[in-house]
Amino acid sequence: MTTLACWLIRAQFRSRRAATLLSMLAIALGVALGYAIHLINDAALADFSRAMRAVQGDPDALIAGRDSSGGVPLASINEIASDPAVLVVAPVIETRVRVGSTPLRLIGIDVFSAAAVMPGLLPRSAAGGAGGDILAGAVYASPALLDKLSLPIGATLTLMRGDQQWSTRIAGDLPATDQNDLLLVADIAWVQEHFGPTDAVSEGRIRLAPGIDAATWRATTAQLLPDGLLLRAPEDDSARAANFSRAYRVNLNVLALVALLTGAFLVFATQLTAVAQRSTQFALLGVLGLSPSLRLLQILCEALAIGAPGALFGVSLGYMLALAFTQLVGGDLGGGYFSSSTPAIVPRIAPALAFFALGCAASLAGAIYPAFLNRSQPLAQALQAGFAQIVEAGGVRRRGWLPPVLLALTAFVLSRLPPWYELPLAAYAAIALLLVVGITSAPLLTRNLFAWCAGRRLPAAQQIALQNVAQAPLMAQVAASGLIVSFALTASMVIMVSSFRTAVDHWLDQVLPAPLYLRSKATPLPQSLLDALMQADAPFARVERTAHTSLTLDPQHPAVALIVREIERGNPAARLPITGPLLAPPADRTPVVWISEPLREIYRIEAGQWLRLPLLGRTVEGFIGGVWRDYSRQFGALVISSDDYRQLGGDFHPTDLALWPLPGRDAAAWLAPYVASHGLELADAGDIRRSSLSIFDKSFAVTYALEAAAMLIGLFGLAVTLAAGVRLRARELAMLGALGFSRRMLSHAVMLEGALIAVVGLAIGLACGIAIGAILTHVVNPQAFHWRMPLQIPWAAVVCSALSTLGAAVVASHYAARRATRLPLARILASA
Amino acid sequence: MRRRTFLLASLLLSTPVRAAAASVAYPPVRPGAGLVFPRDHGAHPAFRNEWWYVTGALDTPIADTGFQLTFFRSRPGTAEDLRSPLAASQILFAHAALTIPGDRLRHAERAARANLGASFSSADCDVSIGAWRIFRQADGPGELLRLQMQSPQFSYDFTLTPSQPLLLQGDGGYSRKGHSAQLASYYVSWPQLVVSGSLLHDGHRHPVGGRAWFDHEWSTALLGDGAVGWDWLGINLADGGALMAFRMRDAEGRTLFAHAAWRDNAGHLRQFDPASVEFAPLRHWTSPRSGALYPVEIEVRIGDRSLRTRPLLDDQELVTSQPLSVVYWEGLVRVEGGFRGRGYLEMTGYAGKLQW
Repeated sequence: MTTLACWLIRAQFRSRRAATLLSMLAIALGVALGYAIHLINDAALADFSRAMRAVQGDPDALIAGRDSSGGVPLASINEIASDPAVLVVAPVIETRVRVGSTPLRLIGIDVFSAAAVMPGLLPRSAAGGAGGDILAGAVYASPALLDKLSLPIGATLTLMRGDQQWSTRIAGDLPATDQNDLLLVADIAWVQEHFGPTDAVSEGRIRLAPGIDAATWRATTAQLLPDGLLLRAPEDDSARAANFSRAYRVNLNVLALVALLTGAFLVFATQLTAVAQRSTQFALLGVLGLSPSLRLLQILCEALAIGAPGALFGVSLGYMLALAFTQLVGGDLGGGYFSSSTPAIVPRIAPALAFFALGCAASLAGAIYPAFLNRSQPLAQALQAGFAQIVEAGGVRRRGWLPPVLLALTAFVLSRLPPWYELPLAAYAAIALLLVVGITSAPLLTRNLFAWCAGRRLPAAQQIALQNVAQAPLMAQVAASGLIVSFALTASMVIMVSSFRTAVDHWLDQVLPAPLYLRSKATPLPQSLLDALMQADAPFARVERTAHTSLTLDPQHPAVALIVREIERGNPAARLPITGPLLAPPADRTPVVWISEPLREIYRIEAGQWLRLPLLGRTVEGFIGGVWRDYSRQFGALVISSDDYRQLGGDFHPTDLALWPLPGRDAAAWLAPYVASHGLELADAGDIRRSSLSIFDKSFAVTYALEAAAMLIGLFGLAVTLAAGVRLRARELAMLGALGFSRRMLSHAVMLEGALIAVVGLAIGLACGIAIGAILTHVVNPQAFHWRMPLQIPWAAVVCSALSTLGAAVVASHYAARRATRLPLARILASA
Repeated sequence: MRRRTFLLASLLLSTPVRAAAASVAYPPVRPGAGLVFPRDHGAHPAFRNEWWYVTGALDTPIADTGFQLTFFRSRPGTAEDLRSPLAASQILFAHAALTIPGDRLRHAERAARANLGASFSSADCDVSIGAWRIFRQADGPGELLRLQMQSPQFSYDFTLTPSQPLLLQGDGGYSRKGHSAQLASYYVSWPQLVVSGSLLHDGHRHPVGGRAWFDHEWSTALLGDGAVGWDWLGINLADGGALMAFRMRDAEGRTLFAHAAWRDNAGHLRQFDPASVEFAPLRHWTSPRSGALYPVEIEVRIGDRSLRTRPLLDDQELVTSQPLSVVYWEGLVRVEGGFRGRGYLEMTGYAGKLQW
């Protein structure tokens, strides 16, 4: 029995080498993409956590201000330090400075406490001294920074932040820091002396005494803290890293699954045609005693024989892809969540096995229907006349339009559901259902459309092609299914990306009103420049200042951006792309904030409500005056006017300027000395626009690769099925040849058949694609990324790609047609 | 005599800092300063070094249990010009140890800079690092000292009630450490303190009783010419008297300077000059950790009497790591011979030359 199975598999592989290899390749491709994405994301996430741990250490709790411009008062640090449950509090002052034009992190540590919590930041003196230099005001540089600055240990350097400067000496390095970290470590007092803040530190990292339950301690202590302080667990930070990139990672994995799905369709096509082709063979074996269940098993075994090597190859290919990608590009797949470092790819056995199993499962899933068909073949009929398609055709007629309509309705309902676990899982299910709808409606459409066409008066060759398609809807379905799936997904991605890009383009117009922008890389702008801008001879008609800082509203979510802007309280719409109603605050002196769409979605708040802001060390109630569109800060942002911020007692230290130069004046030349001496960034609106769109395009690059792969697989599927169809109908074609059809006419008939199937596939694919595109745009994007945008169907692009796919389909069916014209007609007729 | 702060400070300082330290004007230690209490129980931050040091022997829950808690304050001369409140111009260290007979020595340590997890008062005895603290309480009719420390292995919260007046060492608190006049410190002892409170050990809290010795010393002077370390004794005598003796040693183990003070149970204080004090090792113990050879049994001649030390445990060597490794022997001993009692013996400079 086993011998027979092996023999059948070998025979099948030999006679259908191209189709088998293609199926294997498709499975391998799907598995490889999925596994590579998994490996890269896993490595990037691990890398992110490791880098964070290197700098942050491994504390039991962290205390920090909710407002990034504030800090933890020294008194609070000392109070916590005197708690008997606390072993040590390691305070840090962290600030961004630059050396020349290189921005870097300066971390002020306390050597006495740092060792217990963050040994990764401990300095190593070049002189073999043991830490004395650090107390005397020397700094220690990470190896990456020494490299970047090309400075030796012992060199002097000047650190700058806004107008503040500190000239010091590099006394050694930081052996335990991450290879990509650009950072300097100095004594906390020296950092405070030069860059502030007075009487506060940025963060305290707490090590508890052994035997103290960290969660309980955090809960009790948090209640005693002042409003502006937040006590968080280090797990919060890792959870946040995983949380904020999760939607993106899941989306990529869904795309990889699509490649796998297409692979499954290819297996389906291959195995179905194989069943049809060998129906006589199987019928003979059946008559000789091969039971129906063994016939079913045989087809599944054959599928596994395709799936297993494909999946195995896919896993190794995925590993190599991941390795190559991280070496060449880094750990970021375009989402911008991870630094472009080179994370180490560490394959673990369980995920590799899971992806292998997934590949096998896809292959088996593709073979289930053909296997059942093979089992239920009426033997006598098959022996006599080959594959009995009528079985399926009858089934189609019975079920009619009801199932696809029901499925479509279900998909619609699913697409209206809210996210699950902050993921658009229902929407993904709706997309999968839509694909099923497309495939099940293919035979119906084919039959109805072509039966109608076949009724017209047409030349014989065309008539035959139409009849063929209309009367063998199952084969048409098989051939078209790959195309439906791949084109639907491609079209939907094109629609989604295009909608998104149009929206971003439009948004950029609104958020970049000024011709010129100046920013200082997260450090305050120099006062000298701000003063000079106020002078009458400054070449600007208008200057608007902005300060960027951040607030922690919830430790489980990344900090939201707080943008303090010179903006009119009464007319925010002049500067912000407001999307909903604009509400006036109840009182004139109430602070008003305008929140971004992501902030509204993440924290589930609306315009007109009040938002508790942990601002300036206390809780401030802000009135939400409106919601604005923001595509650049995915974790949420809120804008407050500089007047309101000052009125609340905040210091307005601008970090960004929007500039309207006077006509005829050379603004860039006027700014040049400031830009050069303070390492500022000057860009005109056009540059920012171009670079933003280029980042946008880059981040979708990986999806284009997946779409191309899906389209290729779909086309292969079409070619393989058509070719199989030709073989199946060899007798009929030979008969036509005998009746006087030239080879040219036969070839045309086959190509027309392919083109007709492609037209059906593409039409259904397009319809599904538009529906899926709408789900991606209106459901997946807002649910997964909190981005809202109008649906924009790029008809030209979609129709063009449909036409080019049609062209490719005709070329692919030419391959099948060549087979038709090369059939040894006489011999076939003789054997009939 | 607690000069190990010099050692800690010197290890903490590397070359450039020491250069800076030279420019810091530390006040000199002069005779006749006239100490005033409780003000002089507090810190003297202008001086280079200072320590508050409590040792004692407990009778309950386990007889002959030794404990030690010391806070060191160091002004290394760094970051003196910074306005930042976090400037590391005053650094505090603390060591705690517990010796249980038949067990090994347990110890714990803390280090922090003043204003950042550590603090001291200049008005009275009150010095702390985190939740570790030594402070004086003067409420009610009398005064007492409190010691608080926690570590994974042991914790204690002791109250020390004075039974005798302060003992001002040397000339009214001016204590010579060498033949040269600059080698001196201000040195105040408080022997025969009655210990009560609780000891948390091996997961059990025990009430305690015993006797303790408190030292407070501050100075600017560094280790004298040729000295590599010292041997020191502070003994609560069984008859209610108190005995303190020390010697400075050179690399060959010869005595460079020695001194002793004995207050008998009638309160009569006798001081002994270098010629009247002699240290002679009787038995050595080799540390398996550092390889140092400590004369754990010493015969000390003081005037016309002599005593022998008997350690409760041979291995009472401390190897500390914060902020750097320092190795010394500090442990509970029983003394026999011409004096009888219990107290602490300290021996430094045996595990290699001091870094000064």
